[in-house]
Amino acid sequence: MSNTAPPAQELTVSRQVLSVAQRFSTGPAMGRFLQELRDNRRIMANRCPQCGRHQLPPREVCAVCHVGATGWEELGPEGAVRDFDIVYYSSPDPLTGETRETPYVAVWVDLDRTCGDAPLWHLLHAPDLSKVRRGLRVRVVFAERRSGAMSDIEHFEIIE
Amino acid sequence: MEQKHEWAYVIDGKMALPYQYFAGATGSAFIVALRDRKKVLGVRCERCAKTFIPPRQTCERCFRDLTNAWVEVGTEGVVTGFTVVRYAEPYQPKQPPYVLALVQLDGADTPIAHLLDCGDPSNTHVGMRVRAVFSDERKDNILEIRHFEAVA
Repeated sequence: MSNTAPPAQELTVSRQVLSVAQRFSTGPAMGRFLQELRDNRRIMANRCPQCGRHQLPPREVCAVCHVGATGWEELGPEGAVRDFDIVYYSSPDPLTGETRETPYVAVWVDLDRTCGDAPLWHLLHAPDLSKVRRGLRVRVVFAERRSGAMSDIEHFEIIE
Repeated sequence: MEQKHEWAYVIDGKMALPYQYFAGATGSAFIVALRDRKKVLGVRCERCAKTFIPPRQTCERCFRDLTNAWVEVGTEGVVTGFTVVRYAEPYQPKQPPYVLALVQLDGADTPIAHLLDCGDPSNTHVGMRVRAVFSDERKDNILEIRHFEAVA
């Protein structure tokens, strides 16, 4: 072994962002949910005719009773924070490869008039992180430009 | 079921996959030589009498350490195999039809895969002489060789 350090060597790194195009069918239940966000600015859940629970986001069949969930009702637009995460390390956005500015707050919201266990996940606009707590009253804020996607909800805001 | 299926529609989405490829000590020396000196470096295992392009740290046959067993090979070589890509899909390096060829450079015992640009793909044949065309732009990867072209 030599005592002298090996000469410094340039090491190369190849950095790329691969962008993989995909197409999804919403199906009828998510299709209606997303179109109601886009066209009517309202959050619609469907409801099981047998057990009465809401499903949010909606799915065609009740996950408990396995019967068609055909009734539709508007929930919210206000609700209460069930649980939250304050995120300091964000993973890349699958749409852009970019990471969100941190810290940001992700919340599970129990929208008003929800029957059963159907909180909606989204972002909470919270300039003051110390105000974020369970039970906090929040209201949905829709995006100005809507495309029929979950991002049609811009975020929830705190009701002062 | 009474769901109205006209609610269904198709969303165009995409998934971005950022990644970093670290070429390592051996791969970096190979890339830097392409970039700064327009030279192709391989490694030679004297026991097996084989010269490997691209270079590798150990011999694939006898596992001998090939660190610093550098040899320079030519920037010309011979096509040992090829395929013509005739369909388009996103993220291909160029518009089809184009040729991906295995090129064994002069002095090397292993071929490398690269783009071969010799006009009409039907001009391609195994055994044809080709030369590396280097990139004008800095790439820091194997595209320091932009493509191979036929030696007239």
